Amino acid sequence: MIDTFNLDEVVEFAENPEPRCPCVLLLDTSGSMQGERIEALNQGLLSLKDELVKNSLASRRVEVAIITFDSNVNVVQDFITADQFNPPILTAQGLTVMGSAIHKALDIVQERKSQYRNNGIAYYRPWVFMITDGEPQGETDSTLEQASQRLQGDESNKRVAFFAVGVESANMSQLSQIAVRSPLKLKGLNFIEMFVWLSASMSAVSHSQVDEQVALPPIGWGSV
Amino acid sequence: MNTSKQISQWRIVAASVCGTSHSKNQQLCQDAHHWQLLANNVLVIAAADGAGSAKLSKVGSMIAVETAIEYLSRQEITSDTLANDNFLHYLLTNAMLVARNAIETEADVCNHQPHDLATTLILMIATPQIVAVAQVGDGLAVARNSMGNLIALTIPSSGEYINETTFLTSADALETAQIKICREEIVNVGVITDGLQMLALNMIVGEPHKPFFFPLFEFVANAEDRTLAKEHLMRFLSSEKITQRTDDDLTLVLAAFIN
Repeated sequence: MIDTFNLDEVVEFAENPEPRCPCVLLLDTSGSMQGERIEALNQGLLSLKDELVKNSLASRRVEVAIITFDSNVNVVQDFITADQFNPPILTAQGLTVMGSAIHKALDIVQERKSQYRNNGIAYYRPWVFMITDGEPQGETDSTLEQASQRLQGDESNKRVAFFAVGVESANMSQLSQIAVRSPLKLKGLNFIEMFVWLSASMSAVSHSQVDEQVALPPIGWGSV
Repeated sequence: MNTSKQISQWRIVAASVCGTSHSKNQQLCQDAHHWQLLANNVLVIAAADGAGSAKLSKVGSMIAVETAIEYLSRQEITSDTLANDNFLHYLLTNAMLVARNAIETEADVCNHQPHDLATTLILMIATPQIVAVAQVGDGLAVARNSMGNLIALTIPSSGEYINETTFLTSADALETAQIKICREEIVNVGVITDGLQMLALNMIVGEPHKPFFFPLFEFVANAEDRTLAKEHLMRFLSSEKITQRTDDDLTLVLAAFIN
């Protein structure tokens, strides 16, 4: 009996949705980003997609959302798994409403989590990756302050991991007051290397088993 | 061999195999399991999943299962004591405590912190009339009763995020442990660690997946040759069909009561 019992053929598996690893890109598209900065950023987004789809598990688990901020905050890409993601081509103009943008990012992270929960989808801690070349502009101080306080609460409660990256003329000291983690300064316009790193990091997280603290790859594209 | 069919007894098949992500990195299997058949058809089972992030979690999971089973095997488990829910609670809690103490002692001896030996732990005491389970962390324990119903004794306990859970060495491990006692006519029991969770559990309804467990229960019920059955089970756990879906360490402990 047992010799002919082929477990392979008789045991059926539950079909569960893949666990998701959400990542919000919070991108400064204010006037100062015009020209080669926004072009380099657009190239970087393409390389993010290329890198993520190289890893079949990551391409099904990593979900990317893109929020831009200038004088307005726009969700230009709602959460989508990497395999479905088509990077937008961004343009730059206007002011830098960073505080409102941070609020929006935290909002969509919260909404996404409740969607996951309602649909029985397991998930990893969401990342928000903010990139700016300037400083907050075009909104009240209190908006920024509230956003920063909310962010610090969300970090300490492990609701989100928030990374800030400064480009060229970015006000790094102000960024370090807004974010809990030390902001990173991008070397030149090395967006491609940064997004390759981001892809590798998200892939590592999306492969991690229950209980694993994930070691991120070394950062070659920026400095603290 | 031929007479064995006439005696009421548990048949048990169990295996832990190294996940492909661990064997790729030449890591050891961090899962461990142990079981023992005591007098009066009392079966005790332990399964543990060492934390991927902990340095010596393989040691932690092995100490946990061995200490807990050793402790349970020395207790006075009779039909009288089994009738008492409080006693079962006490037994399971003590077994977890003894396992935790053993891990702390080992950590101390090796100049490590207990969290370097972090592990989950599932303990089960099963007889044909009762099954009692304690669980710290994720994984899953199930039973099938004589009516053919599949009973979820525990559910995986992870934190908000899929890559975090509670360990035996966590401060609140015993307070947050799931303990369940089920008094029914038990035909099968099964314990899995988290590596099989996505295959064995319907996450949307939060219930164990019958088409996963029932063929395995049939398999163990017919497992007259335990060595051969274990080989079959290990081959299954290492098969491409499984490794395509999970790259974690896998443990499966199955038992059937044969009348």
